[in-house]
Amino acid sequence: MTWGISFMYYHCPVCGMKFKYGLDLISEFGEEFGKCPKCHVDGVYEKDGARTLDDYDYTEVE
Amino acid sequence: MADLKNKRIITAAVTGAWPKKENNPNVPMTPAEICEDIYDCWQAGAAIAHIHMRDDNGNGTMDHNKFRETVELLKKNHPDCDIIINMTTSGDIYATDETRVEHVKELKPEMASYDCGSMNWLNTALFINSPSFLEMCGKLFQETNTKPEIEAFDPGMIANAAYYVKKGILKAPLHFQFCMGCANGIPGSVKNLLFMKETADELFGKGNYTWSTFGVGHSAMEVMYAAIALGGNIRVGMEDNVMYKKGQLADSNRQFVERAKRIIEEYGCEVATPDEARQILGLK
Repeated sequence: MTWGISFMYYHCPVCGMKFKYGLDLISEFGEEFGKCPKCHVDGVYEKDGARTLDDYDYTEVE
Repeated sequence: MADLKNKRIITAAVTGAWPKKENNPNVPMTPAEICEDIYDCWQAGAAIAHIHMRDDNGNGTMDHNKFRETVELLKKNHPDCDIIINMTTSGDIYATDETRVEHVKELKPEMASYDCGSMNWLNTALFINSPSFLEMCGKLFQETNTKPEIEAFDPGMIANAAYYVKKGILKAPLHFQFCMGCANGIPGSVKNLLFMKETADELFGKGNYTWSTFGVGHSAMEVMYAAIALGGNIRVGMEDNVMYKKGQLADSNRQFVERAKRIIEEYGCEVATPDEARQILGLK
């Protein structure tokens, strides 16, 4: 039994950008995981879970 | 067995317990849809179908009637299809130990999954495979001549399988499914796949077991290519990935099988037929 990847969803406290990180990349990103890809500040955690169709407004950081 | 050395088995995991039409409208949900997808994947080169069932609301279920309906449909509508059926025993995390194996008792499939340990599931629930369940399951599989597909989500589960071999609950040679990149399991990467394989090599001896693998999400392709290079078999399908590639939903399960076949052949290997897979896996 599996099910795709789980994401962590954030917004940036500086620029407001919404973004998400796939949990399967947590070891690859290390300390960068959860940071805004533009401002490089820690994102504000919103929720986590599997991909949904309504999450397209969250930029996937890869 | 020498002439089978170059053969690689493709397993199609067509639906799983979680993805729904809202995640990808092409995920098969009903017994009829699952049956057609299995046939489609077999035609494209899959030797094994790993199957789950859904209830009428699309949620994972261990309802043995759904399993029976699916295999009966396959036999009736596609009598030429000799694919190996591998039934999940973990299609609903709220099912009881008894309902998780009712279909195995009734249908005696050639293969069924055996999740060799417990874990947190998607950070929301427990995926419990208790010692008593694993013992009951292992003994049942021996009675029904069902080959366990040992699903290992981390190296500890491989070591746990070795424990059950020593105890007589599992019979060697084992067949592993290394599940890479699932939340709370080992992250998917070439390095980690190699570690899983080396762990199994140490515990069982090189060549004394067979293995297959898949990566969910970002690691899907990396794990697939590495598996072929390392001599493993591969699993594909919408249970593990609803995206064919970045930004593109999969059109069908067949699409994944076709890609796997192309990669295996480009590497210089051949895709195993169901009968060849039976020999490789020692199915009775």
